[in-house]
Amino acid sequence: MNSIRKNKAFMAILYILVFLLLAEWLTPVITLTDTGHKPLFLIFIAISLLMAFLHVHWTIAAGVKMVYIMWFLIYVYTEATIFSFEALGFILDDLQINIAALFAQDWAQTTDIFRTVLFFSLLWMAVYLIHYWVSFRLSIFLFYILTVIFIAVLDTFSPYNGDTAIIRIMVVGLMLAGLLHLARWLEGHRINETIERLAGFIIPLFVMVAVSTALALYLPKAGPLWPDPVPYITSFSGEGGPGPAAVGRIGYGVDDSELGGSFLGDDTPAFRAEVEDGQYWKVETKDTYTTKGWELSEPVSEPVLYSNGDLIETEFEPGTEDDSQNAVLEMEQDFPFVLYPYGIESIQMNGEIRYSYSAVDQKIEPLLSGAPFEPDDVELQFNEPSYSLTGLRESTVDKLAELPPEFDRYKQLPEELPQRVRDLAQEITMNSETVYDKARAVEDYFERNDFEYSLTNIPVPEEDQDYVDQFLFETKRGYCDNFSTSMVVLLRSLDIPARWVKGFNEGVQVDSNGETEVYEVTNNNAHSWVEAYMPGVGWMLFEPTIGFTGSSQIDFDLDIETSDPEEQELPERPQQPELEEEDEEAAASAGSDGPSLWDRFGEYAADNKGSIFLGMAAFVLLSIVLFLKRQRWLPKILVPYYRRRNGKQTFEKAYLRLLKQLDLYGIKREDGQTLMSYARYIDSFFGTKEMTRLTASYEQSVYGGRPETVEWRELKESWENLINRTTS
Amino acid sequence: MMNPKEQLNKVIDNIEKVIIGKRDIAELSMVAMLSHGHVLLEDVPGVGKTMLVRALAKSVGADFKRIQFTPDLLPSDVVGVSIYNPKDMEFNFRPGPIMGNIILADEINRTSPKTQSSLLEAMEEASVTIDGVTMQIPKPFFVMATQNPIEYEGTYPLPEAQLDRFLLKIKMGYPTSKEEMEVLNRSQLSVPIEELQSVITLEELLELQREAKNVKVDETIRSYIVDLARQTRNDPYVYLGVSPRGSIALMKSAQAYALLRGRDFVTPDDVQYLAKFVFGHRIMLRSEARYDGISAEEITERILTKTKVPVQRLVGQ
Repeated sequence: MNSIRKNKAFMAILYILVFLLLAEWLTPVITLTDTGHKPLFLIFIAISLLMAFLHVHWTIAAGVKMVYIMWFLIYVYTEATIFSFEALGFILDDLQINIAALFAQDWAQTTDIFRTVLFFSLLWMAVYLIHYWVSFRLSIFLFYILTVIFIAVLDTFSPYNGDTAIIRIMVVGLMLAGLLHLARWLEGHRINETIERLAGFIIPLFVMVAVSTALALYLPKAGPLWPDPVPYITSFSGEGGPGPAAVGRIGYGVDDSELGGSFLGDDTPAFRAEVEDGQYWKVETKDTYTTKGWELSEPVSEPVLYSNGDLIETEFEPGTEDDSQNAVLEMEQDFPFVLYPYGIESIQMNGEIRYSYSAVDQKIEPLLSGAPFEPDDVELQFNEPSYSLTGLRESTVDKLAELPPEFDRYKQLPEELPQRVRDLAQEITMNSETVYDKARAVEDYFERNDFEYSLTNIPVPEEDQDYVDQFLFETKRGYCDNFSTSMVVLLRSLDIPARWVKGFNEGVQVDSNGETEVYEVTNNNAHSWVEAYMPGVGWMLFEPTIGFTGSSQIDFDLDIETSDPEEQELPERPQQPELEEEDEEAAASAGSDGPSLWDRFGEYAADNKGSIFLGMAAFVLLSIVLFLKRQRWLPKILVPYYRRRNGKQTFEKAYLRLLKQLDLYGIKREDGQTLMSYARYIDSFFGTKEMTRLTASYEQSVYGGRPETVEWRELKESWENLINRTTS
Repeated sequence: MMNPKEQLNKVIDNIEKVIIGKRDIAELSMVAMLSHGHVLLEDVPGVGKTMLVRALAKSVGADFKRIQFTPDLLPSDVVGVSIYNPKDMEFNFRPGPIMGNIILADEINRTSPKTQSSLLEAMEEASVTIDGVTMQIPKPFFVMATQNPIEYEGTYPLPEAQLDRFLLKIKMGYPTSKEEMEVLNRSQLSVPIEELQSVITLEELLELQREAKNVKVDETIRSYIVDLARQTRNDPYVYLGVSPRGSIALMKSAQAYALLRGRDFVTPDDVQYLAKFVFGHRIMLRSEARYDGISAEEITERILTKTKVPVQRLVGQ
C-alpha cells in the first residue's frame, strides 16, 4: 500500500511538530527542577526523533542514545576527556553506589548522575511513545490534551509561567492533530496522496491555525470567571491553620493582612483537649489594622523564657478562687506554638523544654535546646480569670485618657477609616456609660442588627475599600474575622484599647471521663475574637461573632441586688454549637419556640444549596441510569408480580409487558408488523416456540374476543421463560 | 362431520393434484368463492388458469362453464337469448353460458366493453334480465376471469368501476423449474384433470359460505381495515384509492381466509395477506407512479408497513 506514512516530507513535518511539543514538556520540568543543560536534553530528543524518523534499526538507535547519555554524564559531571579510562571508571563507580542505594531503598543516597540517567530514560520512553502514536496510530490527540493539562496545572500551581507556552502548544497541537487527521483520512479512503493534494490541505490548515491564533491573540479578552483557584484549594485542604483560611492566605501565621473571601468547612482534627469545660484556645494577638487585615506593629522581641511548671505571666491573671484546672492537649496537627486557655498558670511537657512568651504577639513558643519545635502533647494548668462586676461598673470613660503610652498600639486606626464607622460606634454606645457597657453594646450590636453568619460568598474588599466598613454597611454577612475585626475597630474608634485574637474555640465534646470532658477541635474551630482593656480591671475577652458565646467570667461582687437583665446573661459559658448545621439541629430540637418548620427548611436549603443540588443531581442521574437499565431489573419484579395474579386481564397485560420488554431487549416490532410475524421472529431468534404459542392465545383473546378461553396458568411458564431471556 | 378447515384443505389438496406448486392461488380462489366474490386472474396464457378453475369446479362438484371472450362476442352469447318458437308461438329463453356455478371467463379484456359489462352485471347481481324477465343464476356462483397483461395488443382494458367488482386480483406466475418438471411428469401418463373426483358437495360449499360470514371481525380489525383503505386515498402516487366496497371486500375475504386457516376470528395477518390481492386492482395510479416504476402492489406494501397494527383491545371493550 502506498501509505502516507512513507511520504518523507509529510512525516518530517510531523516529527518537527512533535519535537516542538516535547520541548514544551521539557521546559517546565527543567525550570522547576533547577536542572541545567536544557539544550543538551533537547538535542537528545531531537536525535531520538530523527532516528525514529529515519527508521534506524533499534539496536543502533539504542546504542547511539546510550553513547550520548554517557557522553552527557562525562561532559557534565567530570573534567575527564571523553571516554577516557578514568571517565568510565567514574561512571562505573557511581553506578555501583547507586545500585547499592536502590537496594537499600535509600533514595536520598542516589546521586545526581543516577537521577540524570533516570531522566534520560524517561525522555527515551516519552519519545518512543510519541513516535508510536504518530507513526502507527496516526493520532496525537490524547498526548495533545495531556500537554495542555500539564502546562495549565503547572502554570496554576507552580512558579512556572505558561502564558506563552500554552499558545505555542495550541498552535503546534492543532497543526499536528490536523495533519494526522488528514493522514488517517487518506489511509481510510485508500487515496494516494500527491504533493499537490497534500499542499492543498496543509497550506489552508496552517493558514487557518495562523489566522485564528492571531485573531485570538489580538482580540480583547474577558477576565477570568473565577479567581485564582490556588488559595481556595489550599484552604479546602486544611492547610490554613488557625483562623479561618481566607483567600490569599496559605498556612498559619503567614499573613492576616488581607482578610475576606469565602471559606469552606474542613473537619480535619487539629487537636483533642481533655478539660473540665470547653475553653477558647488562644494562639496570638495582632494589633495593627490596615483597612484590609491585621499585622504586627513591631517585631516580636524581649521574649520571656519559662521552664516546665513555671508560673507564666500573661495579661490575664489566673482567677483568685482556688479552682485551678488541668488541661491535656493531644496535638493532631503540627503547630510550632502552644495553644493556651485564658488564665494560664503553667505548662508541662516531657523533656527540657523552654517556653518563650512575648507580650508583642502573646504567643507561647516551645523551645527544645533553643530551637522552636512542634509539640505532640501539652499539659496545662490554668484558672479562668474572673472579673469583678464592681470594678467593671467603675470603668469610667475618663480613665481611658490616663492610660500609659504602651496602650497606644491597641488604639491604632488607619487614617483612611471611613467616618461612618466612627459615627456608628458613637451611635451604638450612645446610651452606655462605662467602658464595659460600651464594649458590651458593641459586642451585642451584630446580633441585634440582622448580621448574618456565613462562610460563603464573602467578598474581599476592593482596593479603596475598608474591610470593616464593607462588612458593617454593605455586606452584613461574614464569619468570625469580620465580626472580631469590626468590633476591635469600633472599640478603638471610641479610644478603648482592643486587639484581635486568633486561636481555636472549644470544639465539639466527643467523650467524657467523669470530671473531665474530651473535646475534639478541628480546623472548623479555628476562630478569631476580641480582647479589650477595661480600665481598672484589665484585659477581657469579648465574642462578637453571632452563634459563638465565649465570654469572660464575671464575679458578681455587687452589694446590691441587680435586676439588670443584661448582666443576668453573663454567667458561665454554655455549651455552644459551632457549625451552622449544628445550629440547625439545636433550632429543630427547640421545638415550637424556634422558627417555623418551613422557615427552618428554607434556611437549611439556603445553607446547603450545594449538597442539595448535588444530591438531586445524583438522584436524577441514578433515576436515569435505572430507567435506561430497566430491561435488566424489571423482569425480576414482573415475574413474581404476574405469577401471583390470576385475573381475567392478566394474560393480556402480561403479554403487552413482554412486548415492551422485548422492545427494550432490542428486538423492536415495527408498526406495520403483526404480532404473529413478530412472534415467529422472536421464536427463531431465541430458538423457542413459546412466543408463537403465547401470541396465538393473545390473538384469540383480543381479536377473537374470548379472553375467557385463555388459561393464564398454562401460559405462565412460557411467558416467564421468554421474559427471563430478555434480561441476559 | 369435518370441520371447515379440513373440508377446505381437502378441496385445495385436490386442486393441487393437477395444479402443481400453486397452493396459494388455489387458497385464494377458495377464499373468493367462500365470500361470494369473483377472481380476476392476470397472466399470460398457458400457466394453468383454465386447469385451476376446472379443478376447482370438479372438486366441489359444481357445474363448470367456460366463455372464451373474443372481440366479436355479443352480450347474448354470454347471458343467453330468447328465441321465437313457432310451435308454441312463444319466445323461449335459451340460457347462455353464464347460467352455471363456476364460470371461466377467458381473456375478458379481448372483448368489447359492451359484452364485458354484461358479464360484470351478472357477476354483481347474480341474476340476468332478458326481455324484462329476471332469472336467478344458480348458487354457488363463482366467476374466474382471466386477462392478459394490459400491455398486450388488441385488448380493451376494464374500466375502474368494473375492476372493483372482482374481489381479488391474482397473478399466477410461472412455476419453478422443479414444479414444471413435475407438471411434465404428470401430464405424460394421463390427463390428471379427468381423474379428479369431487370432495365436497355444493350444499357443503354453501354451508361453508354461511360459516365464513360468521367469522368474527373484531372492532380493532375493522378499524385497521378502514385505516388501510384510507391510507390508499391519501397516498401522493394514487389517483383513485380504495373504495368502501374495497374495504368490504377486504373484510369478507379476510373472514373466509380465517376460516380456511381454521380460526373463527380474523387476525391482522389475514388482513395483511389479502390486502395485496384486494387492493392491487382497486388503486389507480397517477402517471408519476408509472414514471417512478411504482406499482399498486408496492404502494399497498408500503401502506402495510407504515400503518399501525392494532395489538390491544380498544378501550371500553
